[in-house]
This record gives sequence, structure tokens and C-alpha cells, in this order.
Amino acid sequence: MQYSSIFWWTILWVVFWGVTGGIGTRRVYLRKDLDTSNATLGGSLIGAAFGPFGLAPLWWKSPEIGRVMITLSSLVVIGIIAVAFANADPENNCVSNGSFVASQITNGLIIGIIYGLMAMGLTLIFSILGIVSFAHGAFYMIGGMLVYYIINVWFPGTHPLIGVLGSCLITFSMGALFERLFLTPMYDGRVERPVEYGILVTFGLSFTLTYLVAALAGFNPVKVKRFFDFPRIRLPDSSDPWLIKTSRGNMELFDTVSISNPRFVAAILSILVLIGLLLFLHRTWTGKGLRAVSQDRDAAAITGINPNRMNMLAFALGCMIAGLSGAVLVQAFSWLPVVGLIPEMRSFVIVVLGGLGSLPGAFVGGTLVGLVEAAGTGCVPNPQKASSYIPAYGMIILTIMLLLRPMGLFGRKFASGAHGKF
Amino acid sequence: MKRQNVPQLLGALIVAFFVAFPFVYSGGNYDYIMHICIIGFFYAILASSWSMLAGYAGQFSFGHMAFMGLGAYTTALFCHYFFISPEPTGICTEFAIGGHYLIVKNPIGVTSTTLTQDCLAQAMDKWNGTVEVTPMPVWLGVILGTIVGGIFGLLIGLLVLRLRAAYLALFTLGFSEILRATISAEIQITRGQAGLELPSLFENGITIAGHFFSKTDKIPPYFVMLFLLLGCLAVLYWLSQSRFGLFVRALREDQDAAAALGVNTTRYKVLVFVVTSSMAALAGTVYAHYVTIITPNNLMILQMSLVVAMAVIAGVESFIAAAIGAILIEFILEMLRTNFSIGGVTVDMTLWRLVFFGIVLMLTLRFARNGLLVPIIDFFTRGHVAAETVARRSDEAADTERRETQS
Amino acid sequence: MIELSVSRLNKRFGGNHVLKDISFDIRGAEMVGLIGPNGAGKTTLTNVLDGAVKPNSGTVYLNGTRIDQLPSFEVAKAGLGRTFQVTRSFRRMTVLENLYVPAMAQGRSHKSNEVKEEALEVLDFLTMAHLRNEYARALSGGQQKLLELGRLLMLDPDLIILDEPFAGVHPKLMEVIYEYIRRVNERGKAMIIISHQMDSIFALCKRLLVLNYGDLIADDTPEKVKNDPVVIEAYLGTTEDRSGTGQHDDETRPADG
Repeated sequence: MQYSSIFWWTILWVVFWGVTGGIGTRRVYLRKDLDTSNATLGGSLIGAAFGPFGLAPLWWKSPEIGRVMITLSSLVVIGIIAVAFANADPENNCVSNGSFVASQITNGLIIGIIYGLMAMGLTLIFSILGIVSFAHGAFYMIGGMLVYYIINVWFPGTHPLIGVLGSCLITFSMGALFERLFLTPMYDGRVERPVEYGILVTFGLSFTLTYLVAALAGFNPVKVKRFFDFPRIRLPDSSDPWLIKTSRGNMELFDTVSISNPRFVAAILSILVLIGLLLFLHRTWTGKGLRAVSQDRDAAAITGINPNRMNMLAFALGCMIAGLSGAVLVQAFSWLPVVGLIPEMRSFVIVVLGGLGSLPGAFVGGTLVGLVEAAGTGCVPNPQKASSYIPAYGMIILTIMLLLRPMGLFGRKFASGAHGKF
Repeated sequence: MKRQNVPQLLGALIVAFFVAFPFVYSGGNYDYIMHICIIGFFYAILASSWSMLAGYAGQFSFGHMAFMGLGAYTTALFCHYFFISPEPTGICTEFAIGGHYLIVKNPIGVTSTTLTQDCLAQAMDKWNGTVEVTPMPVWLGVILGTIVGGIFGLLIGLLVLRLRAAYLALFTLGFSEILRATISAEIQITRGQAGLELPSLFENGITIAGHFFSKTDKIPPYFVMLFLLLGCLAVLYWLSQSRFGLFVRALREDQDAAAALGVNTTRYKVLVFVVTSSMAALAGTVYAHYVTIITPNNLMILQMSLVVAMAVIAGVESFIAAAIGAILIEFILEMLRTNFSIGGVTVDMTLWRLVFFGIVLMLTLRFARNGLLVPIIDFFTRGHVAAETVARRSDEAADTERRETQS
Repeated sequence: MIELSVSRLNKRFGGNHVLKDISFDIRGAEMVGLIGPNGAGKTTLTNVLDGAVKPNSGTVYLNGTRIDQLPSFEVAKAGLGRTFQVTRSFRRMTVLENLYVPAMAQGRSHKSNEVKEEALEVLDFLTMAHLRNEYARALSGGQQKLLELGRLLMLDPDLIILDEPFAGVHPKLMEVIYEYIRRVNERGKAMIIISHQMDSIFALCKRLLVLNYGDLIADDTPEKVKNDPVVIEAYLGTTEDRSGTGQHDDETRPADG
């Protein structure tokens, strides 16, 4: 790391112009009374990417900051940081080793899909009920635990998918029950500050569930065997640079990218669930009702949709999705009662990044966070430090996002309903 | 005696009880009971300052424990790395101040302690006991920790000005996680999970009223923590009775309306963060010097949950209730530690008590939104209001009737 | 002598020009009605005067102080008080505490008897003395409206903007509000009253300002305004808007009525 000062100076430069751009652009756009909803985010990205050379024309011309501009300049920022990093530390695995990079990116994307799924549950709850569920991680943990108990303890020999299904059913009913018992007073103004009430009561639920599971199952990590084995494949057959090679627990693509079986299976299951969820939301009456309520609660109520029923459904679905992401990931990690905490934080990051209440936002946010974490784990020189910092990466993104554009990348300004105001 | 005076009287009794407690208590486990009291006071400071932040000002922050940790780590790092020596070591970073030298030890992390000693230890080996090196005074660390807590409170307060409810909770949670991750990761400096050791509050013992207390004695830290708690409560009381209390409540209810009536909402929002986070940091510094080791686990979300739950169960809108509730709950939780077995099955109470605690928290939120203690306090202080209102109304009705018949 | 002078005030929300070159003056204890169809910019004008929203251009002077760039709380201290269209009492504070907030914001102490007596006087006047220790959330909607007016008395501003003071108020309370307005006016305070209830406006005000889609289309006595063809057209062209008493104006929505 003899050139690391280059890296830090670059970071300093980028941060300085980013901050200048963020603050200045908003001022400039305000003075010219233009739309400022993108000004802070766009200005800081352009500042970070091009420094004064980007900001001068931006402030001079002050064009409308669109999605293209934001995407381009964020790519440039990433490029600058990558180049600086490569210069500073040419020996690093994620600079010199191409196949490692490809592997990291693929695995980041795969895990990102699962993150996205889990965050989608959170954002679904938020878009309908207007609360952030702090019990999301607890349901994630319970989903995984249930799979372990169903297929290993209660009914040994059951097919893992039945275990997953069972865990979905149970988390769904738990969510519905909790909503009926504890969240109903929020809807009719019996609670003075519904948003805070929602946060605190789900926080309490999370606390209770975590220690309940700990008391029942103990604090020893449990592990579930992988659900499926890969069939043995080698394509093209018996030639040396093969395209795909699988063993039972692993898959290698192009001789470079290696994907572990549990993650792959989890990602496939997540994609299936995602498609199912989207079909449900867009094709069925109930799903359309849900979306209607999330857009305008009062108008939906007039058209004969019962918003209270929808609240229950949304909360239960959200909990089920959290449980499901736990259920598919239990084969990949060892499982503890406190395992939900980091995924929960990550979901917060993702939904804030994508915009609270936006389903596609959750998905994009999930993949972004997956990639960032992969880069973080792979590239930080000291692996021990890297693993300690993993939760922090996301939180840094969250902090920056809240400062630049609180409504997130895809967010609307506010969620629906009387209790969605905040 | 009027009913309104009952809470004051009770409060005085409780304070008198805790002041007298160490001298009259003669049951078993003396040190253990004292320890619970000290920890109870510690949580009481955190819970009451959090109730000022969340209950009065409406800023539901999940970063309160992070400020506690900031204070604790500030004083820990300060006491760990800074020393004063009359002679220069020649190998450490050092600054000449008057005739003495301020020595900054080099960070060597955890693993290498046995292999290469830090520079000060090497120098002391060389001096062979001829030079007396003075560690930094504990009180200076406490003050520094409090100031650092306040500064960070100011920064966070400024950053969250535009954020409301859900976003504020997420942001503060993020802040505390970043802090925790940084402390666990920067092992070179903070020694990570191994924790930093600190000198205890009175490293060389202390003599009070002719009686010598050694550094492991519980009475001095007991009174330090108790008076800290009383001091914090006094400050909070004074604040709540002054315009500060009125304004932060107004901005909790309606920020725009408060501003339209001339309240500088920005100033008071930031101020409440500064005040409460420096209180948390202060509690953290003293706590760290009492337990003499601090690890990043102290910043875990579990600890924050405890503070939140204590305040909410007792009643988040009264810091007095939060403080009393914190002490009570700490005691109940400790009392429930004993495992027992029913029909051959051992019930692990260390976990089950937390389950019950969580259920109580949820039920309190659901059915007693003001907490369990606040209604009792209200019964005494505000119990007369409804009757008064009715009485006044009938008085006035009679008045108007009389006026109408006269005219 | 109270003197408000607004000159060439402009406010745009994105491409939506909500206030167009608004200029008017108020001198002395005038009582001015501000009317106009929904979406005309009445609430935005209030927000701009009050400092909650910064204008894009133009100036506002109150008693010689420029207030258009000041934050809300400074504007309040400079002597401009306002109520909100939707009642915004401090719900979890007692009635008395609600009244102390503006007094203390001006640096007076609520522990002084003077402030306490003043607050009790205000409550007496609002026929709410018996409710002094109740939480504001225990009050009826109309009483909360009165409480908001009471807070303004404690702030004691020179110019008061009342946003829909009569909307959704019981006739008996309406009397109290009328009395309040007259009494405050007698004390030499200027007032701007925004309302959709023409009877009340015509009864109270000697001068009317009419806003229509951001334009100040009339500034005259009620009689003249009533017969002004421009005003009639503005109102008759949007008949359905007249019924929308007390509804929430959504100023950012493009005017499509």
C-alpha cells in the first residue's frame, strides 16, 4: 500500500466536491426556483464525478437533472474510486485477479436478489401501513429456524420445500395475528403518534421473538443441509476450457466464476417468489386492492376496498416474505436467534436507498447493496477489518442517502394514508 | 395533606432510601446488590435522558447508546494512551509541557502485547523504576467524554433536522451501527472485542469522613452514580420547567405552529440532542470507569432495547417515571435470573425473563400508552383536573344565568 | 402605526406560478378580507408572508422591517401572527401551556403572574376558563380553534392572518370569534381574514383582496368587488369551487377547475 496516499487524496477530492455540489446545487436551483428534488443528489454526484468542471456548467446552465445524468455521474464516481484504488494497491486481489472480481460481482448480484426480496417485504408493509417494521429481522430468523425444525426435528425426512412452505404459512399467520392484536389501534386515531407507535411495538415484538426463540432453541447455531444437489454437468463435454462445471455443492462458470449451491438455489427460489408476488399484485383483485390502498387509502376505501383487511394482508405478507428469505437462506448460513439483526439493518438500508414504499426500488437497492458488500468484502486489504465493517457499509450508504435524497431513488414524497405522513 | 404533594413526598422518600441504603442494608450478597443499584442508576440516567429526547421532544432516536459508548470510549482511549512523565521517553510521540512531557502511547493492538510492548512500557523497562509516570486523571476523561458526546449530539442534531419519525429512527440506528462497527474493526487502536481496560473511578482508593475505601469498594461508585443521577434529574427537571421544556413539547406536537408562534424550532431541536447526548455520554464515562473494561458489545442493540423498553414501560413522557422504572426493571430483571425446573425441565430464566420483558413492553404499548408509572403520577398531580373543570363549568353556567336573569 | 407593504411578490412551485406579482399595502388597523376560489394562492400567500415559504422574488416589509427572507419564528417576533387552515393546537399540552408558548417565545417568563393573569384573561374572553388545565386534545374542534386564536392574543402581533376562522364552527362559537375579531381590531391590530363564507367577510371587512390563480384581480370595498365583472367571472366560471368551504387547498396542483 505504498501509494495509498493517492487513494485518500482522491477520496478527499471526491468528497469535497460532492459536498460542495450537494449544498451549492440546491442553493442555485432554489434561487432559480427550479425543481430541487434531485438537486442535492444530482449536484453532489456531478460534483464528485467531475469536480469544478462539472459543477460550473451545471450551475451556469442549470438543466433539469434527470435519471441519465445521475446514473452516468455515479458510474464515473465509481470509476474514479476504482482507478484510484487500483493505483494505490495494485497487488490487491480485486485489482489483479480478474476471475476473483467476476466471482465477487456474480455472488454480489445473487445475494443482492435475496436481499431485494427481503427488503420488498419491508417496503410492502411500509407502503400500506406507513410503518417501518423493526420485527423484520426477527421474522427472517424465525423463517429459517422453522425450516430447520420442520425438516430436522419435528418431521425428519420431510422435503425441504415443504419445510419452506410450512415456515411461510406460520410466519404469515404470526404476522396476521400480530397485526390484529397490536396494530389495529393505529388506524382509527386511537394512537396519538402512529408512526412511533408502530416502530416501538414492532421493536418490542422483535425483542420478544428473538429471546423466545433463544429460550426455546438455545443459542447454539443450527445448520440445515442444502436443499438440492446440482447434477454433475460439464459443458462442453470433456474439452478443457469448459463453460459450466458443477459438483454437488458448487457451480463454476467459464472456469472463473464460482457460485455455491445454497446461494444459487436461494436466488432461484427468490426469483420465483418475486414473480409470484408481482403476478399477485398486478393480476389478482386482492393484489390490485393492495396497490390501490398504497396509493390512496381514502380513495380506495370509497371504491369498496376494506383498508383494514388490506393492512392485515400486507403486514402478514411482509412478514411472510421476511420469513421466506430466512427459509431459503438457512441452508447457506448457520442460524442463531440473533441472526436477523444484520439482514434487518440491511433491509432498512435497501428500502431507504430504493425509496420507502417502492417495490422496484427495493429490488434495485438490494442488488446495489449486494454489490457494494461484495466489493467491500473483497477489496478492503485487511480481511478481518473487512468483515467487521460489513454492516457499516450499508449504514454509510443509508446515512448519505438520507442526507442527499431522503425519499430514496424511486421514492414518492410520502406514503399513503393518515398514518403515512411523516 | 393534599393529594398533589404525594409524588414530591414519595420522591423525597425514595431519595432518602437510596442514600441510606448502603449503610443499613445488611443482607447477603452485599456487593452484588450494590452492583445492581449502580447499574440501575446508570440505566436510569440513560432512560430519563432518552425520555427527554423521545417523550418530550418527540425525537425517537435509537442512537442513545451510541452516545453512551462515545463517552465511554473517549475516556477509555484518553486514559489508555495519554500519560505524563517528568522525563522524555525518546521513543513515544511526546510533547513538552512545562517541565513535564505529555506522552502518547503507540497503538499496538491486541495480539502483539506479549511480543512487542508499547513504547511507554519499553521506556519504563529502561528506566527501571527510576521515573514515576502519571496516568491522566479520571475526572478529565469524564469531562472530555461528556464534551465529545455533546459535540456528536450537536452534529447528529444538525443532520437530522429535516428527518422525521421513521427516517430519524433509521438514521440514528445507522449511526450507532457505524460506531459499533468502527470500534470492533479498528483493533489496533480500540482493541476490538477484547475491550479497553480503564482505571477505576478511584484508582488509589479514597478516604471519606475518615473511612478508607479501596478501589473495589462499591460505596464510592454507588454514590457517584447516585449523585450523577440526581444531578441529571435536577437538570432535566429544571429544563422541563423552563421554556426549554415547553418549547420542545410544542415542537413535538407541531413544528410549524410552534415556529409561527415565534419558537426557534431549529435551535431547540439541536439543543435537546446536545443536552441528552452529553448526559448519555457522561453516564457512559462513569460506567466505564466503574466496570473498568469497555467493549463494543455495550453498544449492541440489546442495550438500546433495554433503555427504550424501560422508558416506555414506565412512561416515556415523564423522565422521573423513566428513571424510577429503569431502577425497578433492572432489579426485577436481576431477581428473575435464577433458573428453576418444572417436571425435570430446567427453565433458563436468563432468557425467559427477557421474553416476559418484551411481552410486557408490547402490552404496555398496546393497552397503557402512557406507561405504567405515569398514570399513577398523573392520578396524584392531575387527578383533580376533571373535577375542577366540571366545577368551574357549573360555576360559570350559574354566573351567566345570574347575569342573564339580572339583565 | 401598522404598516405592511407587499410589493411584486412571486412564487413558483416548479412550473406552477402560484403568486404573480402580488402588491398591496395595509396601513393602520385595517380589516382586510382575502378571498378567491380554491387554488387561488391564498394559503401560499399566507405562508410566504409568515416566512414558512420563501418567495422567488419581491419584498415584504412589516413596520419597516424586511420580513420576506426571515424564518417563521423571526417573522412572528417581528409582529405577524397567523392561524392555520387545519387547526393545529399542541394536543398533548394543557390549554394554559398552549398559551404560554407564544408568551415565552418572546422572552417573557410563564412564572410571572403577569403572564399567567393575561392567559387567564384570554381564556375568560374565549369562554374557556374552566378548561385551563385540560389537555388540548380533550377540546372540541371549535374550542381548539378558539385556543389557536387565544395563542395569537398571547403573541400579540401587529398583524394577524386568520386562515378560514369560521370553517366548521358551531354558530355559538362563531359569535365568540366575531367578537374576538372586533375586539382585536379595536385594539389597533390589522387583520387579514381568509374565508369562503362571504356573509362573514362582507359583514366584517371594509376592504377585500381577491386572488384568482395567483393574480390579484381586485382590491376594493366589498360593494365594488361584488359588482366587479372580473371577480364575478372568476367565481361564476368555477361555480363548484365555491362550495368547497374549509377544504384543504392543494396549492401545488395545477389549476384545472
